[in-house]
Amino acid sequence: MTERLEKNWLEWSVFGVSLVLVLGTLAYLVYEAVTLGDQPPIIEMQLGAPEQRAGEFAVPVTVVNRGDQPAEGIQFAVTLESGGAEIERGEFSVPFLPRGATREGWVSFRTDPRTAQLKARVLGYESP
Amino acid sequence: MRSVNKSLKEYIRGVAGGLLFSLPLLYTMEVWRMGVVAHPWRLVIYMLATFVLLLGYNFFGGLRRDANFAEVAIDSVEEMGLGLLLAVVALWLLGRITFDITPGEIAGITIIEAMTVAIGVSVGTAQLGGEDDDDKGEGANESNGRRDGDAQDTGEKTTFGGQMVIAACGAALFAANVAPTEEIVLIAAQISVWRILALALLSLALGALILYYSDFMGAHKFVHFDAHHDVLVGMAVTYAVALAVSASILWFFGRFDGQPLIGCLAQTVVLGVAAMMGAAAGRLLLQ
Repeated sequence: MTERLEKNWLEWSVFGVSLVLVLGTLAYLVYEAVTLGDQPPIIEMQLGAPEQRAGEFAVPVTVVNRGDQPAEGIQFAVTLESGGAEIERGEFSVPFLPRGATREGWVSFRTDPRTAQLKARVLGYESP
Repeated sequence: MRSVNKSLKEYIRGVAGGLLFSLPLLYTMEVWRMGVVAHPWRLVIYMLATFVLLLGYNFFGGLRRDANFAEVAIDSVEEMGLGLLLAVVALWLLGRITFDITPGEIAGITIIEAMTVAIGVSVGTAQLGGEDDDDKGEGANESNGRRDGDAQDTGEKTTFGGQMVIAACGAALFAANVAPTEEIVLIAAQISVWRILALALLSLALGALILYYSDFMGAHKFVHFDAHHDVLVGMAVTYAVALAVSASILWFFGRFDGQPLIGCLAQTVVLGVAAMMGAAAGRLLLQ
């Protein structure tokens, strides 16, 4: 096996780029695997400022999964309450929320949310 | 040394092969999902397993038959690198990779797709066109060195082990395109034991047809017809390889999680039809 490797510049550059890509990807995966904990999905919701659209009030909702495991088929509910009683309820679902991922959704109401209190809640999800 | 032009042609063949064989996977939703769900360790194992397959394929069936180990390793790294690059570009074009998703998601989706692309690149480089355009002009000398010995090489180098490695590559390439779909789970959940048995027999029959009774690609050159005994052994071993590959891929895609043993077995056999066709064809086509 003393044969010299005969390669032109194109082959050396393809090899160089490939080596960096492959080793880089492996290193990243190992780093991820080592630092990844066991925490179940921790899903946080944040409500944005309501916007009036076509006679309805749309409220943007940002959801983040801060746990270490992904969640699937997550259902969210946002309720509009006044004096402890529910006036209206908006729901939406996100098919898939990987660890660390952020998604955005909207819920819409007929009542102006600024006249009442908005409450956000995660109804449930599946672990894949 | 090869001319730049000629190596460029090889890479283009690789790119074509990579996309050709992995296109169904690039367009499959379950695969994207798996890329995000899979634990990083699983992805590492997937990459290493693919690398071993590439090494095996390049050694036993690849373009440079007289290659030493260093060259085989370099080719395998190149194929994997091209696979990653191609997968990123294709997934970006398909809108699967955007700036909104996390690096972990990008890595997962890319790796899952890239491994099949890499095997496709490897097969494409070695199989698509190729032989004739090498022999013109300045390439003549070295390609003689490389290609002349083909007839003897297949006799010497395509040992039993080599054939099994190539069978495994073929099985992986075919099975990976069907394995991640929900359909496999659905079929396996509803199938009766008799049908499983019938599918297993069908796999064996298909394997036998492709390997022993069809003439395509000069099957008789590669497969020895010494006795009926050999035919049976070859068929059984190839099917064993196909089932092993089928089960590994299903495990990788998380299809065995929380399944009873019979469910796992049913899925393995259902996917085994595709794997067996790949394995049998691989033993002929990928040579």
